[in-house]
Amino acid sequence: MLKFLDHLEEWLVATLIGAATVVIFLSVLHRYASGWPIPGVQDWLLGLNFSWAQELCIYMFIWMAKFGAAYGVRTGIHVGVDVFINSLQDKTRAKFVVIGLMGGALFTGIIGTLGTQFVWEVGMRYAVATAFGFDWPDLIEGAVSPDLEWPVWIFYSAIPLGSYLMCFRFLQVTWAFIRTGELPHHDAGHVDGLEDVLPMDSSEALEEYEEHKFNHAGKSGGVK
Amino acid sequence: MSALIIFGLLAALMLTGMPISISLGLTVLTYLFTMTNVPIEAVAMKLFTGIEKFEIMAIPFFILAGNFLTHGGVARRMINFATALVGHWRGGLALGGVLACALFAAVSGSSPATVVAIGSILLPAMVRQGYPVKFGVGVIGTSGGLGILIPPSIVMVIYAVSTNASIGQLFIAGIIPGLLLASLLMLVTWLVARKRGYPCLPKASLGTRLRTLRESIWGLLLVVVVIGGIYSGVFTATEAAAMSAVYAFVVAVFVYKDMTLRDVPKTLLASANMSAMILYIITNAVLFSFLLTSEQIPQELTSWITGLGLGSVGFLIMVNLLLLAAGNFMEPSSILLITAPLVFPMAMQLGIDPIHLGVLMTVNMEIGMITPPVGLNLYVASGISRLGLTETTKACAPWILIMMLYLILITYVPAISLWLPNLMFN
Repeated sequence: MLKFLDHLEEWLVATLIGAATVVIFLSVLHRYASGWPIPGVQDWLLGLNFSWAQELCIYMFIWMAKFGAAYGVRTGIHVGVDVFINSLQDKTRAKFVVIGLMGGALFTGIIGTLGTQFVWEVGMRYAVATAFGFDWPDLIEGAVSPDLEWPVWIFYSAIPLGSYLMCFRFLQVTWAFIRTGELPHHDAGHVDGLEDVLPMDSSEALEEYEEHKFNHAGKSGGVK
Repeated sequence: MSALIIFGLLAALMLTGMPISISLGLTVLTYLFTMTNVPIEAVAMKLFTGIEKFEIMAIPFFILAGNFLTHGGVARRMINFATALVGHWRGGLALGGVLACALFAAVSGSSPATVVAIGSILLPAMVRQGYPVKFGVGVIGTSGGLGILIPPSIVMVIYAVSTNASIGQLFIAGIIPGLLLASLLMLVTWLVARKRGYPCLPKASLGTRLRTLRESIWGLLLVVVVIGGIYSGVFTATEAAAMSAVYAFVVAVFVYKDMTLRDVPKTLLASANMSAMILYIITNAVLFSFLLTSEQIPQELTSWITGLGLGSVGFLIMVNLLLLAAGNFMEPSSILLITAPLVFPMAMQLGIDPIHLGVLMTVNMEIGMITPPVGLNLYVASGISRLGLTETTKACAPWILIMMLYLILITYVPAISLWLPNLMFN
């Protein structure tokens, strides 16, 4: 079940960033392609409407940001100022780490709750009432987005969903830290394609590199 | 008074080691809840509308583009080209290292990744040629930071977003300072190498130069796509970023073939992870500056600063000191997001150009990356060289000194930053 949630989260954020790129790419392509006077094709292109692309891109990225932030708790990418606590003794440091993580859980929990109220008020309440035929007083339909004309509460629901998920992730990391003393750590300097170069011990790297570069240099090749 | 409470609260929360984004958010919630009558529901709304801007979306696109090309293969091509160009001068490999860092950093957009990629390949080669490890670490560790200044730069997008400056103008303003810094670092490297008699490589033939250029040009064209696209008006900045991401994908998968289609989801996920972290800080920073504005703190500080009669010279010294101090503890995007809304109105009051201020703040961020205790470049440089952090810092010291002098130059000669954008946009 948790594995499934992990995969869903990863799949969602990766798909959103990829899809947003494709959407903007196509809309730019469309803008220029429809300027070309190719008979038939031009009319067809002009008939397509891409004005919603920017809006969709923004919403996709906001969803990506909210769920990606939750994923980021799991990968340890949200860094803080740890100079001070790292100079403390292990036991005291552990207390501060837990305080920090609980702060995260508290904040995201509050935001999740505020977000739920907000989404409920800006249209979800109306949507639920009409869908199930409830006869609640003071129903307000809520706004729709300018270009896509979808109800905004659907977009805004990223706040409560993402924040609650993030809250859950903070609790998960806290629990793991209390049990094992390990925190997830993000490696900022990770680069693919360097597996064959061992740090400071790579005669092959040098050879390959020299070969790469000076096989045309003739007899003066190599180190001067 | 309220400024003291707010920043005191923020500092206290940050010292617990809690993520900066969370500290910002909790400060806002606590203050609003205990000291004001601002409806707390407004916070949830701000969390959404804070990043509802198309300009901000350039950040994830640039991160994605950079990640497609952050690969050892690309680093090798840049190194080959750079050493073919400058390798025959004294200290050839080191000079090539500076240039390769500049090229790779421009394309990858990440300072630590540049240090790792260029350093892992070049450091062993340098050591085998008889360079002291410390020298190599100093050169590569410092030069890795060049990417922040050379466009496309994510730090500049963040500055542009928080001050409503033009992304295109900032990028173009970064070109000359970036080249100037690269040349300065190379000059110092060359002087040291000449004095200590470090080796040089045989002069590469024209054929080799052309071949290495042909191999690296695909990556370098990314910068051209972005700058050319924005300047010619073909794309907006965000569109240029998206196009550069598509371009980087095509180059990585179909031209360089460093990456297979199967690796793409992993790159997407890593980019989403990094972008979401930055967007999350932005959201909370927007919340924070909303609080500052509703408490009228920027106005108060501005009138206080103008009351001091510092003038723009004294003011910029203060900004530099503030940013350098902050750079010792936080990473660039957080510093910019917290300080820019405060510094910007004061600078405008004193008649400082917003683009000049942007370049200046970016240079400060760059220095912050290589100064202890929190210099990401130092950490990764010490990681790949197995030198301790203190020794790595000492190794970088001469170049840090040069960068400080360079910062003074950038601060008091606005023309370095403004000449090119003024020429191109007026």
